[in-house]
Amino acid sequence: MTATRPGDRGAFDIPAHASTDDPRVTLEEQVGVYEAVPPFPPRTERESEFYTVRDGELLVNVGPHHPSTHGVMRVVMKINGEQVVDLDPVLGYLHRGVEKLCENADYHQTITQLDPLEYVSSLFCEWPAVMAYEKLLDVTVPRRAEYIRVLSGELNRISSHALAMGFHALDLGGLTPILYSFIERDEMVEMLAALTGQRMLFNFFRIGGVNGDLNHEFMSRLGDWMSRATQQVEANIGLLNENELFVRRNRGLGVIDSETALRLCWTGPNLRATGLPFDIRRAHPYSVYPELDFDIPTRREGDSLARYLLRIDEIKQSLRIIDQCLHQMPDGPVLATLPRLLRPRPGRAFAAVEGPRGEYAVYAMSDGTDQPFRLRIHDPSFLHLASFTHLVPGNLLADWMTINASLDPIMGGVDK
Amino acid sequence: MDRPLKRRLESRFGERLVGPVRQRHDETEIRIGPGDVPEVLRALHDEPDLRFLVLADVAGVDTGTTMEIVYQLWSDTTTDWLRVIAVGLPREDPRVPSITFLWKGAEWLEREAYDMFGIVFEGNRDLRRIFMPPDYKSYPLRKDFFLPDDASRSPGAGVRPMERPFSPSNATPAATVRRSKAG
Repeated sequence: MTATRPGDRGAFDIPAHASTDDPRVTLEEQVGVYEAVPPFPPRTERESEFYTVRDGELLVNVGPHHPSTHGVMRVVMKINGEQVVDLDPVLGYLHRGVEKLCENADYHQTITQLDPLEYVSSLFCEWPAVMAYEKLLDVTVPRRAEYIRVLSGELNRISSHALAMGFHALDLGGLTPILYSFIERDEMVEMLAALTGQRMLFNFFRIGGVNGDLNHEFMSRLGDWMSRATQQVEANIGLLNENELFVRRNRGLGVIDSETALRLCWTGPNLRATGLPFDIRRAHPYSVYPELDFDIPTRREGDSLARYLLRIDEIKQSLRIIDQCLHQMPDGPVLATLPRLLRPRPGRAFAAVEGPRGEYAVYAMSDGTDQPFRLRIHDPSFLHLASFTHLVPGNLLADWMTINASLDPIMGGVDK
Repeated sequence: MDRPLKRRLESRFGERLVGPVRQRHDETEIRIGPGDVPEVLRALHDEPDLRFLVLADVAGVDTGTTMEIVYQLWSDTTTDWLRVIAVGLPREDPRVPSITFLWKGAEWLEREAYDMFGIVFEGNRDLRRIFMPPDYKSYPLRKDFFLPDDASRSPGAGVRPMERPFSPSNATPAATVRRSKAG
């Protein structure tokens, strides 16, 4: 086949007499700018810019694979040598259409649909939804139920951060820390399993409260763990914080300032690592958080290391909150009395909670039937992943994985 | 409910507002025309007495008769979430100006609304499908997109307009469908 297109170099049209050491074969031709063939013709400004490959650049398809727990992710990378010039994340490999499924399920059933979104911190997917429904229905949640929500939520936050810490090291090639953080996480998973009946997809929150009261097994496990939690956390910190390789690979990588982070719609620990104390538990208080005493840790550096260290600070604050919850837990019912068939009056409600990765929000519209008319799920990982194109270009290919790990996206939530 | 915010919004955006400023629980809601989106959001973001710096969400909505875009904003000047709804986009050709000049992060949120509803955001430089395959033709979250195993929302039930008055006669759409099929 002969080269007919103007951009085609005809590199394989080697004359029959040419040997492999013929200088003409290995000679670099001047090619300038030519168009690489994208999977589909470029339809947007950004796509045509991305698929225009200059001299020395190479398009590499990374994935779709499963990088540790993050989920099925695919990124098309434009690299020059080992430097990332540009990248284009391709989503949808975990898309299940949860919003559509929820619009065709009744209000109680949607909670089950929301659970597997962020399988690492499921309670924070249920929480904004039940809060939004409670606003639609004008339901007051019993105080004991609110305390149980906060208690289980903070446990889930710790387990999620423990996992993020371990997998941060795993993404960098360190295999040991994940084993230690799984010891911690397994404790909390067992605790939450005793409380909710499930290890990961809890399905615990109900409209107007929670599914069950605290039980003996949960309390005894929690008491055991709380007595040694602080020491355990300190011990795990020593694994990585004093590891020079880990620190040097993370420091000064993926730096972002708070102004840019706000423009990129960041929330959660990633935003607070830039120095901005934006935490929805304080910025827009919900549940019983106004009654609890805790700090909002921030860091100024805004790099990968700051994002990692901030999660450790948050674990310590969560331990404080759990301690206070156990001391202030009031008696009373854990579920408001509601009819089984819920038909909220037509209206709209928005509720947001501070999850381990940022703002989890639900926007619910009711049209008077027993099914939500529209259920919009907002996930923070989606926006953190969107800023890859801002953070990664200019860094080395291996640093992409470090930045990815420090942002801690969960693809189940990204893809909905 | 933040009453002073309501007065501030009314005095600032008086003639641009479609309908009254609504307040319920910890939420304030204003409705504007799609053409006013860049000016109103720029004012909300930039003006020192409003300072809505955090874009909490961008959502598309298909009400069955028109399309809407819903922006949720947070500011340290108020205790409410502010909801800005761009109303009255025609279902055949929904178009709204992009707000990526204010929040770069809205690029993907708008891509998602485009993917799910077919709403075109003018000025978004990367408006392509994000979850569905690039050669996919439909818009899954539109109300005329029915799930194959969905009895209560089957094509016989028709497009369900938002906030239709509720009465016992249309209490169970499934029953309505069965009756219409029988008749």
